[in-house]
Amino acid sequence: MDVLTVKNLSVSFYRESGEITAVKNVSFTLRAGEILVIMGDTGCGKSVLCKSIVKLLPDIAKIKTGQIYFQGKEITGYTEKEMQKLRGTSFSMVFQNPMTALNPCMSVGAQIAEAVRLRQPGISRKALRSRVMELLKLVGLDRPEERAGQYPVHFSGGMAQRCVIAIALAANPEILFADEPTTSLDAGMQAQILGLLLELREKLGMSMIFITHNPEVAVRMADRVALMRGGELYRIGDAEEIFEETIHNNH
Amino acid sequence: MRKPYITIIDELSKFALSLFLLSVLVFTMSRLAPGDPLYSYYGDRVEKMGTQEQEAARERLGLHAPIPVQYVQWMKGALHGDFGISYKYKTDVKEVIADRIGNTLLLGGLGFVIIFVLALLLGLFCAWREDKAADRVVCGIGTVTSCIPEFWLSLVLILVFAVWLGWLPSSGAYSVGMERNPADRGSHLILPLAVVVLGHLWYYAYLVRNRLLEETRADYVLLARMKGLSGKQVLYRHCLRNAMPSYLSMMAIALPHILGGTYVVETVFSYPGIGTLAYESARYQDYNLLMLVSLMTGGLVIFGNMLARIINVWIDPRMSLKSGGMSGEVREF
Ligand SMILES: Nc1ncnc2c1ncn2[C@@H]1O[C@H](COP(=O)(O)OP(=O)(O)OP(=O)(O)O)[C@@H](O)[C@H]1O
Ligand SMILES: [Mg+2]
Repeated sequence: MDVLTVKNLSVSFYRESGEITAVKNVSFTLRAGEILVIMGDTGCGKSVLCKSIVKLLPDIAKIKTGQIYFQGKEITGYTEKEMQKLRGTSFSMVFQNPMTALNPCMSVGAQIAEAVRLRQPGISRKALRSRVMELLKLVGLDRPEERAGQYPVHFSGGMAQRCVIAIALAANPEILFADEPTTSLDAGMQAQILGLLLELREKLGMSMIFITHNPEVAVRMADRVALMRGGELYRIGDAEEIFEETIHNNH
Repeated sequence: MRKPYITIIDELSKFALSLFLLSVLVFTMSRLAPGDPLYSYYGDRVEKMGTQEQEAARERLGLHAPIPVQYVQWMKGALHGDFGISYKYKTDVKEVIADRIGNTLLLGGLGFVIIFVLALLLGLFCAWREDKAADRVVCGIGTVTSCIPEFWLSLVLILVFAVWLGWLPSSGAYSVGMERNPADRGSHLILPLAVVVLGHLWYYAYLVRNRLLEETRADYVLLARMKGLSGKQVLYRHCLRNAMPSYLSMMAIALPHILGGTYVVETVFSYPGIGTLAYESARYQDYNLLMLVSLMTGGLVIFGNMLARIINVWIDPRMSLKSGGMSGEVREF
């Protein structure tokens, strides 16, 4: 089953200096439970591709052509209201820099609780609290009771990224978009976060679109790989196949 | 980690030092400025006095000694709470000020509260409607009103509402014999209050707007939007919270400006407050009165700045770390 299908998607930025097409005619599918790694040089349009699927592009960017299907249903023309519902329940995202992705003036617990409450509007205080603790434990934070009351400044990058992942999981998403989630972390932390994401995928059965520059990370994460260059997605296939190919080409 | 009481002692000593420097400055400058304080005391009678009489009068008022000596004299009194008498009113300057300060606090305080609330609401509204028609209209009107000089605005309002329409009184704080009538006092307040608010409002509203827009560009907005919040909800729940510490510290600095900024307005409306008093005392060399008014106003300014620093450190979790606290990890905030 395909959870996500993207067909001929093009996205342009309209600036005073003219139109820049950041995503050109991209098509791919994401299967249930798989991790699709998107690789490509900086500026090739990976982030814009993700943001256009969840419709969080800046005002100056527009989807020019193409269709997006989620679980077989076309969502390309969804209104902002409908997209909000989808973002709160089916799509989640993890970002490159966890320290700036968290609101610095809000305790981590409150930020997770907010996401839980959006997913389960009528939830009781007690249930909310235990769900927040459960999420914090799920992402491997020790002493969750204490952690929940702290602010992002009190966290290291790795711990902050765990919190961002906890927020992402609050929605119980079908698809997790991870936009270079480990690039800003040191090697040890990186390995831990990757391990956590793999483990969560097993546990929760979600699909993942995982963006990275780093081939080692890609090898570790990928079920399938998509390669991008200058806004185009020019190759997609099973991980082994693609990695073999690239190694071959490099020799 | 710095102990809180050290911060407080530190702030208090800075406060005292600033006030001392201010007093030296005002004392010296007022005495070097041209004009004769005897006029303030005796009015036109000075002209009929002989030189000898004038000298004797100066002696009595303690104005004959060199400026540094006079200053020490003044300081001795001031430290005991004796700030001398007003030459014009012939009573203790503290009494003169006590009579008027309520009016100024009412005008400036009300103005401050209204500006505080309206600036926040306007800023929020404009940030929410960024670059849409409503935002542009409000920004346009705001820019125009903030460019109008206060005295001119006062005169126009007096002309329209007092002279032409006759709805509101044009001067004073109450009508004769109506000192205790709230409705009468209120009607006297409307025009000066309008000028105080209009004169400052847009400056702060625009700062709030831009501060919020800066926040909407921050990374955490994307994460919040991914939770399923609407743009408006993110603005209220997230951006506002982040902009609040800087708004509060900004308004702490604004407090003396708005309270003290009523001078022009008071003068135009002949409103019996500290502002008119300051103007008179400077104009007519009423030295003791001028000193106390300046010190009070200056003290307020310094206090506002102090408050702003304290707010920054205590309210903002991003700052509290800087001032000590957590283990030595380097963080980008
Ligand atoms: N706000 C913007 N305004 C104008 N153009 C933009 C904007 N954001 C992105 N673009 C354009 O889209 C292109 C792709 O950007 P994108 O952020 O998707 O790259 P990326 O593949 O994620 O790169 P990186 O690996 O550095 O994150 C950029 O080269 C740029 O031309
Ligand atoms: Mg990117």
